[in-house]
Parts: sequence; C-alpha cells; structure tokens
Amino acid sequence: MKDKKNTEYLISLFLSIFASLIIGGFIMMANGRNPIVGYSSLINGAFGSKYNIATTLAKTVPLILTGLATSISFRSGIFNIGGEGQLYLGAFGAALIGITFVNLPAILGIPLAILFSAIAGGLYALLPAILKVKYRIDEVIVTIMLNTVAVLFTGYLVNYPFATDVGKLGATDIIADSYQLSRLVRLSTLNTSIFHVIVITIIMYYLLERTSIGYEIKMVGQNLNFSKYGGINVKGRMIFAMVVSGALCGIAGAFEVLGVHYRFLQHISPGYAWDGMLVALIVKNNPLGVVLMSIFFGALKTGSISMENATGIPSELISVIQSIIILFIAGEAGFKAKIKNYFAGKGRRKKVGEENA
Amino acid sequence: MLKEIINLTLLQHTIRTATPLILAALGGLLTQHAGILNIGMEGMILLGAFFGIVGSYFFASSLAGVLLAVAVGVLIGLLFAYFVIDLKSDEFIIGIAINMFAGGLTVFLLRSIFGVKGAFSSPDIVPLPRFNFSFLDGIPVLDTIFNNHTVFVYVSWILVFLVYVYLYKTPYGIWLRASGEFPQALETAGVNPRKMKYISSIFCGIFCGFAGVHLSLGYLTLFTENMSANRGFIAMAAIIFGRAHPVKTLIAALMFGFFDALGIRLQVVGIPSQFTQMIPYLGTIVILFIVAKNHLSKRRKVIEGESYNE
Repeated sequence: MKDKKNTEYLISLFLSIFASLIIGGFIMMANGRNPIVGYSSLINGAFGSKYNIATTLAKTVPLILTGLATSISFRSGIFNIGGEGQLYLGAFGAALIGITFVNLPAILGIPLAILFSAIAGGLYALLPAILKVKYRIDEVIVTIMLNTVAVLFTGYLVNYPFATDVGKLGATDIIADSYQLSRLVRLSTLNTSIFHVIVITIIMYYLLERTSIGYEIKMVGQNLNFSKYGGINVKGRMIFAMVVSGALCGIAGAFEVLGVHYRFLQHISPGYAWDGMLVALIVKNNPLGVVLMSIFFGALKTGSISMENATGIPSELISVIQSIIILFIAGEAGFKAKIKNYFAGKGRRKKVGEENA
Repeated sequence: MLKEIINLTLLQHTIRTATPLILAALGGLLTQHAGILNIGMEGMILLGAFFGIVGSYFFASSLAGVLLAVAVGVLIGLLFAYFVIDLKSDEFIIGIAINMFAGGLTVFLLRSIFGVKGAFSSPDIVPLPRFNFSFLDGIPVLDTIFNNHTVFVYVSWILVFLVYVYLYKTPYGIWLRASGEFPQALETAGVNPRKMKYISSIFCGIFCGFAGVHLSLGYLTLFTENMSANRGFIAMAAIIFGRAHPVKTLIAALMFGFFDALGIRLQVVGIPSQFTQMIPYLGTIVILFIVAKNHLSKRRKVIEGESYNE
C-alpha cells in the first residue's frame, strides 16, 4: 500500500517536472529561442566538465542543509519558515569566531565555528518553537517576521561594530587562514564542506528514518492527538525538531562563510533557505529525496548560466520553472482528486444512461 | 539635529510609505476574514509594480499601467484561490510559490522585454497623476498631509472606508466573515462559501496590484528587482496588529510607515536605521504574544471556574 502510494507520487513528481520544463520550453520559444538548444546547453553547463560538475555540487551544499532543516521541522508539524534568518545568524556566528580566535588551529577552529553557528541558528529557532508549544502562537508568522529581524540585525553588525576597515562593503574582515575550507576544484567554489554535508546527511537520514525519535517526530506531525495518547512528549519533540532545523540552517550559513566568501557579507544568502524549503516540499520531506532534488536544483542554477551565454535566455527562467514545479506539486493531491472525480462522474453518468436504456 | 529628523517631510514620507502597506493590508485582511492566510502578497505587490511599468511604458498612459496591474492581480488572485480553495493545497506553500514565481518572472521579463538587469527606468513611463487641492495651498500642516500625493494615497483612504462598510454593514461582509469563521452555517444559509473566498482572493490580488503600481509609478517611475522589499510581510504584520479590522489595520500601517520613514530620515543623518526597521516585525511578535497570553489566561479562568463548580 505504501509502496503503491510512493510510486504514484513519483509518477506525479516526474510529470510535474516534465510539464514545468515543457512550459519553460514554450517560454523560450515565445522569446524566439530554440528550447532544444537551450536545454542542451543547460545540461552541458551543469555537468559538461569537471569544473561544471564542481559548481553544481557547490550550489547543492546550502540546498541540502536547508532542505534537511525543512524536512525535520515539517515532519513534526511545526513549520520553520525562518531558515533564512537562522542562516544569517549562523553565518555571522561563524565569521565572528573566525575573526576573533585567529590563532586557533584548523582542527579546533573549524568545528568551533560550525558548532557556534549551529547554536546561533538553533537558539533563534527555539524562540518561535516555545511560543508555539507554550502559547500556541502561529510559528509561520513568527518565523517570517524573525527572518527580516535577523537580516537587519546582522546588517547593522557588519555596517557598524564589525565593519571591515578595508572599504565600505557591508562585510566583516576576512576570517583567519586556518578557518578557510580548502577548495577542491580549481576556479570553482566547491570546498571540503561537501564532506561535512555528506556526514550530516547520513546522520539526519539515520535520525529521521531509523531511530525512535525520528519515528515520534513523524507521528507528531501526522497525528497529534494519537501521539499524545500514545505517550509521546509532543511538545518536546516539536521543540527538538525546530532547534535541529535552526541549527542546520545556521550550519548552512557557516559553510557560506568558511568555504565560499571567507567573510560575512550583508546579503550573503540569495534565498537559500527558501530554495531549500521548496526542495523539501517537492520530495515530501524525504531526506534522500532532498539530496537528489538539491542536485537537480543546483544543476538548474549552474546550467542556467551556460544557457544564458549560449542562447541569450535570461537565467532567471529557472526560478520561474522551479516555482511552477512547486505549484504542480502543491496541487498534486487536488489534481488527482479532481481527475478521479471526473472519471467517477463519467462512469456514473454512463451507468444512469444504461439503466435508462 | 532633531529638527532634521522630525519635520513635515517625515509626515509626508510616512503617508507615502504607508500607502502600499495600507492597500496590500486591506486586500490581505479580506482573505484573512475568509479564513486564508495569504503570504503571497509580497509577490502580488511585485507583479503589480512590474506590470504597472509595462502598461505605462507601452501604452504611454498611467491608467493603462494600473489596468494591466489590476488584470494581473485578478489572475494571480484567481490562481491563488484555485489552488487553495479548489485543490485544497496548503495556503502558505502556494504563497511561497507565488512569491518565488513573481521574483523570477519579473526579473526574467525585465531582461527579456527591456533588456536590462537590476532596474528599468525610462522617460517614456508615464507616472501617476498627483493631486492638489488648491484651497489647502499655503495652510501649513494640512497642505503637507493632503496635497501633492498620487492618486493611490487618496484611493487607499477611501478603500479603508469602503472595506469597513463592506465588512460590517452589508450582508456580503457578513457572508465573507462567515466563510472564514463558520462556512457550514453560511452554506445552510444558502450562500456558497467558496464564492466568498474566491472574491476575497481576487480583491486581494487587485489591492496588491494597486500597492505595486503606487511603488513603481508613484513618486519614482522605475522598477527594480525585488522592489516590494518585504512590504507584503509588513502588510501582514499590520493585519495582525489591527486584528483584521480595516481602521485598526490602517493605524498599524501608518505606524509602520512612520517607522520606515523615520529610518530613512535617520540614515540621512548617519544613525543606523536597522533598529527602527525592525519595529514592525518585533512588534508583531509582541502583539501575538500579548493576545495569546490573554487568551490563555481567560481559558484558564474558565477551566478553573468549571472545576470550582464541580
């Protein structure tokens, strides 16, 4: 039964992606471009060379982390929309460690920076979690509001007390050398954070799919009352899920600092947490699905640049396609019900007709 | 220095910056009453701003800009309603999708129609007309408050009144509120709650379109990427603050507009503006907290009372 449902969902998923890409193709044609040329240059741009593959993977790092963050929170039925804010605080936290303890060796400094960013992100998620379980305040609204607060707050920090002396950048100083994660492929920003991400993914998979905590989190999200009567500490599990979610977003921010920019920048994230959320939504919070879909999204992002260079189609077409995928997926259950109703209705009418005859 | 910050310009800026918030919030409170939390307002405003520019540029008329923005607002409102009401999709996922769609589409079209990145401005874009009541000329404060605004400033004030009358003085308003609070009762009364929800969603799209046009064709005639700049979320905050009452929401929006304008003035004199900008967001959380706490303590009293009776 479950397998059948999963297969059905996979079919809808592929149909949604396929349909969205077709729509994207029509948009290309409306712009007077050849969609076959467009898409082939996109694929080539995403996977065509070692450098391109590395760039695609580099793009997947923040997506996987924020996607996993979304998975654990959405599974428990508490909706963390505040990933962007947690990411900013985590990123700043990592940079703060990197410019403060400049003499620490890499083996101590990097874990410290990652830990600190996780704590910053986790604590920032703790507040809406407590407001939710204790006062029943809608966490969606609170986390949305906290996003902007974090962006403004870090914006203040890097323009005033922690502003770099070199130029007016809206950035901190460069972090010490020992904190800078090494790059793996020349010219690409792919760095050793990808190995951390692999480890984190395995841990998260294990936690969500193979432990009783993961099972309880799922139960809380699926049936709150049942979980309560079953003796699950519902509030505790929700808070746990939210804090882990925030910590993962914080770590995503840390890797942007330690691996990509080597400093905190005022606008360090172009919306990674939102993209990660979409990734998780598309694969229904499945941790392995998050990895695959992140690679797909990363490939679209990387490939879109080559597509633009080859055909002149603006790379932003990709975000249009991505949001159409989301619409299809979000409406998936509804579409299915509609189609079933339609056929059921047809069948009934036929029957009535037969009876009359 | 205080004179540089707090002066009549601040008042004028407050009215200007509050207007898109008021317009969007009026739309959002209609869906709120219909039981739908619309976080897609951010994207709806952005689409309105963009298509306002498109209409005004190609038809050399600001009215065409407004009409195009309204048409797009209706379409996006219908899209939102179809997914949330008919397909029963999660309203906040659809909201996020609309925000992302609007962000991607406007930048994509900005580049494919106008061939520019970041921002588009042209002398061929016709701005919205400004109004001047000559009898107020020269009267110090009133002149600043009421004169020399674009049409949507006045429209927003009129709409507050109209929405108030609609919600509380007409049967349609009662139906709309019932569609959110108690749809079964409405159905029993022979009114289709689905229809009421659709109407609220379409109006939300239109009002957000107005808000967008005010941004792009109002005081500066240009479109910039992501020009809605969180206004959809601040509008949502205003709705929560005003507990979805049009007049109270208006006051909240004016207050947020004031803090925004104050932030700009502070920046002019070199004081960090981030903290004044935070006020709407933090304030919303505080309000939610106060409301929830009162609600909880009331509930507790009721429960204690019950156990006492036993």
